[in-house]
Amino acid sequence: MATLTVPTSRTAIPGILRNRAAAKLLALAAVAAVLVPLANSHWGSNTWPHTLTVDLSHPLATASNWVIDNRDTHPLFLYGFGYVSNAVVLAVRAVYLTLLAAGWTGVTAFGALVAWRVAGVRLAAGTAIAFLTCGALGMWVPTMQTLALMVVAVLTSVAVGALLGLAAGLSDRLDRALRPVLDTMQVLPAFAYLLPVVLVFGIGVPAAVLATVVYAAPPMARLTALGLRGADPEVLEAVESLGATARQRLLTARIPLARKELLLGLNQTIMMALSMAVIASVIGAGGLGDRVYQALASVDVGAALAAGIPIVLLAVVLDRVTAAAGEGGAQPRTIGWPYVLAITVAVALATRLLGTLDWPSGWTLHIAEPVNRAVDWMTAHLYSGVPVVGGTADWAGHFTTWILDPVRGGLQWLPWWSVLLLVAALAWLIGTWRTALTAVLAMAAIGVLGVWEPSLDTLSQVLAAVAVTLVLGFAAGVAAARSDRVERALRPVLDVCQTMPQFVYLIPVVALFGVGRAPAVAAAVVYALPAVVRITAQGLRQVDPAALESARSLGATGRQQLWQIQLPLARRSLLLAANQGVVLVLAVVIIGGLVGGGALGYDVAFGLAQGDLATGLVAGAAIVCLGLMLDRVTQPTERRARKGA
Amino acid sequence: MSTTTTTTPNTPVFSVDGLWKVFGPKADRIPADAELAALDPADLRSRTGCTAAVRDVSFDVRKGEVFVVMGLSGSGKSTLVRCLTRLIEPTAGTISIDGEDVRAMDKARLRELRRHRAAMVFQHFGLLPHRTVLDNVAYGLEIQGVGKSERRERAAEFVTKVGLEGMEKRRPGQLSGGQRQRVGLARALAVDPEVLLFDEPFSALDPLIRRDMQDEVARLHREEGRTMVFITHDLSEALKLGDRIALMRDGRVVQLGTPEEIVSSPADDYVREFVRDVPREQVVTCRTAMRPASPQDPANGPAVRPDAPVAEAIEAVARAGAPARVMDEGKCVGVVDHAQLLDVVAGVAASTGAAEAADSHAAAAAGSRAAGAARVGAAAPRKRGQATPPPPRTSPEDV
Amino acid sequence: MRIRTIFTVAAGVSALALLTGCGAADMTKQASPFANAQGAKTVTLSVQSWVGAQSNVAVAQYLLEHKLGYRVDTVQVDEVPAWDALSQGRVDAILEDWGHPDQEKRYVTDKKTIARAGDLGVTGHIGWFVPTYLAQQHPDITDWRNLNKYASLFRTAESGGKGQLMDGSPSYVTNDKALVNNLKLDYQVVFAGSEAAQITQMKQFAKEKKPFLTYWYSPQWLFKKVPMTEVKLPPYKEGCDADAAKVACAYPHTPLQKYLNADFAKSGGEAAAFLKKFKWTTEDQNEVSLMIADQKLSPEEAAKKWVDSHPSEWKKWLPSTTHR
Repeated sequence: MATLTVPTSRTAIPGILRNRAAAKLLALAAVAAVLVPLANSHWGSNTWPHTLTVDLSHPLATASNWVIDNRDTHPLFLYGFGYVSNAVVLAVRAVYLTLLAAGWTGVTAFGALVAWRVAGVRLAAGTAIAFLTCGALGMWVPTMQTLALMVVAVLTSVAVGALLGLAAGLSDRLDRALRPVLDTMQVLPAFAYLLPVVLVFGIGVPAAVLATVVYAAPPMARLTALGLRGADPEVLEAVESLGATARQRLLTARIPLARKELLLGLNQTIMMALSMAVIASVIGAGGLGDRVYQALASVDVGAALAAGIPIVLLAVVLDRVTAAAGEGGAQPRTIGWPYVLAITVAVALATRLLGTLDWPSGWTLHIAEPVNRAVDWMTAHLYSGVPVVGGTADWAGHFTTWILDPVRGGLQWLPWWSVLLLVAALAWLIGTWRTALTAVLAMAAIGVLGVWEPSLDTLSQVLAAVAVTLVLGFAAGVAAARSDRVERALRPVLDVCQTMPQFVYLIPVVALFGVGRAPAVAAAVVYALPAVVRITAQGLRQVDPAALESARSLGATGRQQLWQIQLPLARRSLLLAANQGVVLVLAVVIIGGLVGGGALGYDVAFGLAQGDLATGLVAGAAIVCLGLMLDRVTQPTERRARKGA
Repeated sequence: MSTTTTTTPNTPVFSVDGLWKVFGPKADRIPADAELAALDPADLRSRTGCTAAVRDVSFDVRKGEVFVVMGLSGSGKSTLVRCLTRLIEPTAGTISIDGEDVRAMDKARLRELRRHRAAMVFQHFGLLPHRTVLDNVAYGLEIQGVGKSERRERAAEFVTKVGLEGMEKRRPGQLSGGQRQRVGLARALAVDPEVLLFDEPFSALDPLIRRDMQDEVARLHREEGRTMVFITHDLSEALKLGDRIALMRDGRVVQLGTPEEIVSSPADDYVREFVRDVPREQVVTCRTAMRPASPQDPANGPAVRPDAPVAEAIEAVARAGAPARVMDEGKCVGVVDHAQLLDVVAGVAASTGAAEAADSHAAAAAGSRAAGAARVGAAAPRKRGQATPPPPRTSPEDV
Repeated sequence: MRIRTIFTVAAGVSALALLTGCGAADMTKQASPFANAQGAKTVTLSVQSWVGAQSNVAVAQYLLEHKLGYRVDTVQVDEVPAWDALSQGRVDAILEDWGHPDQEKRYVTDKKTIARAGDLGVTGHIGWFVPTYLAQQHPDITDWRNLNKYASLFRTAESGGKGQLMDGSPSYVTNDKALVNNLKLDYQVVFAGSEAAQITQMKQFAKEKKPFLTYWYSPQWLFKKVPMTEVKLPPYKEGCDADAAKVACAYPHTPLQKYLNADFAKSGGEAAAFLKKFKWTTEDQNEVSLMIADQKLSPEEAAKKWVDSHPSEWKKWLPSTTHR
């Protein structure tokens, strides 16, 4: 009996799928047949009909003026936000002064000892070297400023995230309410978060910290809830069978059982906070991000790199140490916490007595100049006139003319309702009717906000960049999955690309590709590529070895194995890679407004630069909607059904 | 009626009467409605959307006995044992422990019950992976608020008792399956409960280790005489450990009796199929097999105890070549000869569904791992012959 | 239970109120958390994204640190937000402002949180420029009336069929879209998005001697690297740029201004006095800018070089009592 059912069900699946897809499309077509003529007769234009837009610029401008005029008098600010802002400033200042008091030796010693305690000797050495490099690049003080900001932001994010996660982990209703919000917050470009906080808090450290918290707390909340919910039900039942109270169950079982997720949450929060701390330099975060930003203003790639390297080092060290803490548990005890503190204090005191708290100015390396020479050489030789293949500027021109323009033209030529239909069809085919509805509503909201045209412009850039990213990423991923050597060679490159602040990419791409949309796309591709490569390679490597073995035993060639076994079985990973790629590309395409990408990114930058919050906030909201739509359209159903893929 | 238990207690430890557990919308109405209550599982499901995991079950667990609840996966046995301490809230019926109504208990009293009176051992152990063996064993005491040094001391005692001395500092992840279950056992023992509840404790273990653990439980029972409720899907385990066995099918108890009663006089065809392959001579006692002694029987011949399994008598009869006398306290209560012994071995005539019985055995073994997870749907229809193929999966979950 | 929660919250809030001193927390009176660390007197200067502004700040920073014993923090903020930050005291001074009448009215006249600190000594001018090599080839290109004739020269992938007029950072004052419209020019404004991107692009064009038309301003060090000629627009008359949508005239010449936070101006001591006196010429600023932007000296090194070679100029900015 069993042998009979298997083949029938297997052949039935594609049939049913096709039928279901066809059914979905039919249903959609039926709805469209009714609605489209109606919509078309009322508002027959290609672009979003003007009568359906709501002009928010006036109320927003009024609100922004009100805030500025009342910030020093209104009780809402004096007794509400004022305290928040004060608390942030006091906390950052306290941490910063502590770090300065510990001096470079104290901080380095503390970092190394903590790494030793949690993750062993190798990471301890790595941590020490990382801190010393920060000093050697002349970035000690900015590094400490960023670190102080990070400490406060991360602690706050963790506290907020853990509390939210705890609530969502314990209450089903809260979980249902919070999960879509958190999921969505994670896919939004960091840039979109900046304006609302600036509106309330003005430029400066409090706004930067709060934007960072808003950006970095969701992963903590998600993973906390996930960890609490993912606990082995039999363990919980056992605990209950022993008569534990709800509190005991939480403290002795659920939280310890969620340790891995909690530490993973901490890890992700730190990484997101760091990337945000850099972007937040646009709103006055100071520190390393500000150095990058200032260096870029004078087209000084070398100086930008000198500030970028400490960021990468901080990121790598924090990532490795927290990751090791998450996996840890079995490693031998190295050093007790009291000793860590005692040694740190001793070292700090010793340096203070010797009077060398500040990084000695003679010990600074100047890397800016050689780097700039290298970049100059590169751009001088690659920009144009390279025989046969043409220069990068020519590529950029062709890319713009032959790909970006047609895609943008095509999107803007399509009647607005057909864009909505297209979004609905795609989202429904890949996901459920819910995801389709969200996607369509998000897209419609863009129209209502009155930024239909620039949003389609941004969308065309995203689509082009995603296409390039996926082609390159899948190719590199396949190569990495098939050869250990390739993977080993790629890994450090991917690590660095992923942690490098997005800003650092911008100037080299302008130097190579000129001003316009092409460099924005190029920067987006470079930024999104690592994640796509990594997820693809991982997915391919995780394919059931038994399936591969059986294919080999049937005499399949390497190519056949790849196309017939590995790629189909890794479908989920590939979809996830596409989803991630879209999210990351969008983030950078927006920042690409700073290099001539125009569209929504420029509007946000304009809003920030001119203090024109109306323009900025509307563009920011459109980015949010666009991100939501893109995420839903590329989101495979399983991600909803399964917990936290 | 003959019984193998040596003590006859007055009040049962657990007394279960008319117990129902129904999963699904408006579950309350089903036990109350005689017509709904009489439906078979498939009809019940299609008419109400509910699944009755336990239907109208009644039994007593006597002090000091090992009470086995046996059934295939989906028969409702795991739900039943969880209802005893209200880890799953029953839908209808009464449960009392030492005469006290369990369903009427408030939260504090129920915690008291779980802390001191009934401790459970789980199929997949339910250990806390972040704690050492010692702290896992001490966990129940910690919950009760026992001080650190005292609970560790007591826990160490039980670690030794289950044969894990020297492993106190290890974590569950570093132990084998059998060792983990010993930890689970020690944890349950450490709180010194009146009753031990076992939920298929050994079905996740290798056969050899399983036998060791069964011996361990038998030894503990011999030494301490603690009352035990033991859930299993393994007939031989049930026969080996159980003083009495309740055999469940589709949420109902189809037969309740000593191993011997179940093997020698199955209540219906289902039970008959179930016990078909059991070596009867190992289970049936001479007391059941014997015929009354007649004057012409020889007075010397070999002697056997009435409690001895028939296998023993066979050996004796074969050796002596003469009928054996069944001797109880020096008195001859009966005689077994070739005829009776052969009857026992031949047993009841083979049933028509023999192949299926063997089949269902295999299915039970395969399904046992999923038993805990699929508890909600446990009592779903298992009608053979009209089984529908599983719904097609569109998601590549198994990638 | 609920009452207890409310009580706890109330207690927490009042404790917080007690801890923070008085009842109100005015966040417009907060300094940067990084200011005044380790007992040093700190001045926070706003740096705008263009190099000229960096030069001002570099020299001021060098003198404040080395001659007056201050610690200087710099924060890069765009122009309009910088006004806001200045009014809140998060930065103490803006050294180069190109004219923001709205902000000036709000903060200086109405709220009095910002004080004028005099001229920088440099006059700024915005305009449309073509590279001089192009102007030599086509001398009539420097009149806006002839721009349409040459539109095809400036065509790029971004501008589609029209000529490209490159604009820079979104923070700059620009009327270019309106100008193109109102002067009926066959051009497309392409926003480079940041000055860095714009400069990079201009240098690339210049290296290849390609034609380009760009929004640009002086003083700017890039003129030394890429000589450019201004395109004449209809002349500027007072008030011709009042309605942003109807502008059809050139940009004005603006004497650049310095502004201080009002409190800092009063109680900022030597630093405030120094910043008020700080005044130099376009040539001075360009000299430092060129060192920073083109020779890639760090701002500090560039400032040191200039300070070492122009003692007579900066000596008069220092308070007479200090001679370190």
